[in-house]
Amino acid sequence: MKKVTQRTCLAAACAALLCGPGRLAAAPEEAVPAKMVPVVRVNATNQAWDFFHPWAKHAPYSHRGLGAVIANGEVLVTAELVANSNYLELERAETGEKVPATVVVVDYEADLALLKPQDDKFLKGITPLILTDASVGDHIAIWQLESTGALLATDALLTTVQVARYPEEDVALLDYNLTTSLQYRDGSFTVPIVKGGKLAGLLLRYDTRTQDADAIPAPVIEHFLHDAAEKTYGGFPKAGLLFASARDPQLRRYANIPAMVPGGVYVTHVERESAAEEAGIKEGDILLELAGRSVDQDGNYTDPRHGKLSLINLISLQTAGSKVPVKLLRNGKALDVDITLRHKAVESYVIPPYVIDKAPSYYVLGGLVLQELSRQYLKEWGGDWQKKAPERMVYYDHYQSDLFHGERKRLVILSQVLPTTDTIGYEDLGSLVVTKINDVPLTSFADVPRALEHPVNGFHKIEFEENPNVIYLDAQQVSDHLEDLKKTYGLPDISRTE
Amino acid sequence: MSLSIRRASLTFLLLSTRLLLADVLPTPPSAASTPAIPVPSIHRSLARITTTSQDPNYREPWAAGQISGGVGTGFIIDSERILTNAHVVSNARFLTVEKEDDPRRYTAKVQFIGHDCDLAVLKVNEPGFFKDTVPLQLGGIPEIESTVAAYGYPVGGERLSVTEGIVSRIDFQTYTHSLVDAHLAIQISAAINPGNSGGPVLQHGKVVGVAFQGYSGDVAQNVGYMIPVPVIDRFLKDISDGHYDKYMDLSIATFPLQNPAMRRALGLADDDRGVMVSKVAAEGCSDGILKDGDVLMAIDGHGIASDGFTVLDGARVQMAEVVERKFKGDDVKLHIIRDRQEMDVTVKLDAAWPYLMQANTYDAAPRYVLYGGLLFQPLSRNFLEAYEIDDLRVRYFYDFFLEDELYKDHPEVIVLSAILPDPANTYLSDFKDGIVDEINGEKVKTLDDLANGFRKEADQYVIKLLGVGRPLVLDRAAAEAARERIDQRYNVVKEQNLRD
Repeated sequence: MKKVTQRTCLAAACAALLCGPGRLAAAPEEAVPAKMVPVVRVNATNQAWDFFHPWAKHAPYSHRGLGAVIANGEVLVTAELVANSNYLELERAETGEKVPATVVVVDYEADLALLKPQDDKFLKGITPLILTDASVGDHIAIWQLESTGALLATDALLTTVQVARYPEEDVALLDYNLTTSLQYRDGSFTVPIVKGGKLAGLLLRYDTRTQDADAIPAPVIEHFLHDAAEKTYGGFPKAGLLFASARDPQLRRYANIPAMVPGGVYVTHVERESAAEEAGIKEGDILLELAGRSVDQDGNYTDPRHGKLSLINLISLQTAGSKVPVKLLRNGKALDVDITLRHKAVESYVIPPYVIDKAPSYYVLGGLVLQELSRQYLKEWGGDWQKKAPERMVYYDHYQSDLFHGERKRLVILSQVLPTTDTIGYEDLGSLVVTKINDVPLTSFADVPRALEHPVNGFHKIEFEENPNVIYLDAQQVSDHLEDLKKTYGLPDISRTE
Repeated sequence: MSLSIRRASLTFLLLSTRLLLADVLPTPPSAASTPAIPVPSIHRSLARITTTSQDPNYREPWAAGQISGGVGTGFIIDSERILTNAHVVSNARFLTVEKEDDPRRYTAKVQFIGHDCDLAVLKVNEPGFFKDTVPLQLGGIPEIESTVAAYGYPVGGERLSVTEGIVSRIDFQTYTHSLVDAHLAIQISAAINPGNSGGPVLQHGKVVGVAFQGYSGDVAQNVGYMIPVPVIDRFLKDISDGHYDKYMDLSIATFPLQNPAMRRALGLADDDRGVMVSKVAAEGCSDGILKDGDVLMAIDGHGIASDGFTVLDGARVQMAEVVERKFKGDDVKLHIIRDRQEMDVTVKLDAAWPYLMQANTYDAAPRYVLYGGLLFQPLSRNFLEAYEIDDLRVRYFYDFFLEDELYKDHPEVIVLSAILPDPANTYLSDFKDGIVDEINGEKVKTLDDLANGFRKEADQYVIKLLGVGRPLVLDRAAAEAARERIDQRYNVVKEQNLRD
């Protein structure tokens, strides 16, 4: 039923870096003397949890990337490089000297992480990189290392600056689009891009066929570093609203937008308990201005440096917690509100978009495997998970902000059934949403062990949202067979809850 | 029987040649051995059916559709009738039948067609056809391992072909023609190939089945299926009053009760009897009579085992077989346990399976409404196969239509399936694949509701699509002005079709 799959699409996109040698297109912008190279190799050994067998981990694998040495003796890499890492090591390019490192801050949404060597003197002699923004048309150098430790710089042309989707599906942030012909070098997982000796970004993905590359740009890195320096990491804020073009004259007439108002975008959705809802923004409002910048009919504002950019960038580059003015039109009347933007924590989702660096919760009840539904679980179906994973669960994930609210903090699912004497006749069940156990409604995974403490007439009664609605287990037998079950299926523990 | 069947993958293959003309393989010359069960006069009972059909075009529903041709087999039964598969003559525009040793091509017409059981009865327009013919008699269910012979006009040549094999398996199977029906079917090892469809399978001179489907060679070898006599019998009885009422259905889903703890929790004895009702389809026959959680113990006095099987005529069959043999208006007596109380209930079979959205449909014109260049169509299997929509919401509405009872709010799921570009709709392309929820504040539950909405005078039509915050707004004056222009430019001969 389930397939063993490759890693998620993010890794697949990065893996593209490792294959297909490209040709050196043009002379690199500049060379840096080898001993001064402000990059170090980063050797990461990662081991993700296996969400199909939540008591176990996938096999560990190692990959190498380059880290950009920045101020405070810290090293900047993409978050993917350190996701679920067991062990991290920094390696000096010119000497090969190695030292263990730790993650100081990581943001899987912005795909950035900050590392620190255990030994403060390790980065001695390196002049840290400082940040610089770039503009469309700029030539930028992509830095890699030869096996000797010498710098390999490839020229890239910055073709577009736009808001684009980041590896985590829900995240759209500023992105540099580059054209380059990158050569394969070992350790190309994280690669810095440099303009005039300053750090302009980190490479996000590269397509060997089209020679298109995306990079996390300096403004995003700057926001990340700013937040990382704070006591608590704030993250990139969201307003919690969706918008769509208000270009159609028929729609403008319907929405009573006065003819003299040139721009404005149609608010199509306001998330529950979001910043936008708190600010009083409503579906159907026309958003004219945010943070002092006017918004056009397609939802773009004019950035002084990059020209037209999506309103999303205007929001995400604010500091979490900051209050910005919004000008709206409601039924043709002007309305001014202030919105206090904030980051939406991954834990606050009903179906968390990612579960990284964290062991999944589970409970194996007599052979029924109960888990928390997360997108990380769905991603175990592989790169094509949106088509291959159980459709109802994909639907729930996609429309979660519409479908779930109120009491329900998480969804508990019966992911699969391990055949045992207790689960005879239940073997074909799987991918079902559990609504109640022993008449206790489940609002989060923590309810599972609590509900199991009180069997109903000696039975564990498990209720589902779908067919077959209810099944029972003999509570005494389940507890008698516990050690047997652990032994048979090699379960280190019968459950893991937070 | 249909509840659990969703978009099954199409590994099955129907055996009418029109589906598989590209796969024609040269047939090796016949070994010319005498068949184990000789039927000397068989050529006087067979008909070679040539069908010219026109399949509706769901992407351009106002267009007449592609014309194609195919060949299948039929055989003569009593009262000067020809029995064949429904899929041989579906969407037929013109039919001819031929006999072995007669050069004449006779025209024929479909008298009755059962798409749920893949059977059809043809009448020949010229009575001379039946001169010197011998109607075949129906036999019974052949024994497992007994020898049978299949007759027909499969690919590989023009003349009658005979293949021989044994009965491999008797079981319920999905009937691929509709894809939502499962009935008794018999698997045989005789080679049956495209063109065999509708041909008789004989034993001791009597018909024991109608060859109808098989697997393609890359899936399984020597697996052919025939429609057995109980299904043929039922079809012929059903049409004997001049009308085909279809198979009746309890319209429930059940869950086996094989788990000992579950049995004890429900207060059942350890006797391997009974299945639990897990879903009662609204508007099905059992709606209001059976309830979720009821345990079905016996059906018409036949005990139901914990795996959903019962014994009929000495053979173990799925309990649904009891209902399969009944007709519209018949009763089904169920002995049930509800809340630990034994009781008897009677379900009157007055309806077939109520929701055919996921079934292949034939001999029906696509329903649609075109307004302002926006094409609205009800979601159905035929529709989805024409469009291959990836939209998650549309896929969910199709796949979980029954299970999540989406039919309650949307008996018809109306999709904005295409936009014929025109100045009247130039900014509306984002709305494609949306599901219509409201027009000018009124709920849209069926295509008729939408058509009525467009009939009402309004300055603007404001259409709400499910889960889409921005309304689709259409100025009536602009849409009306665009009418002729769109019809002409896109060759639209009819702006709506509300009837099948």
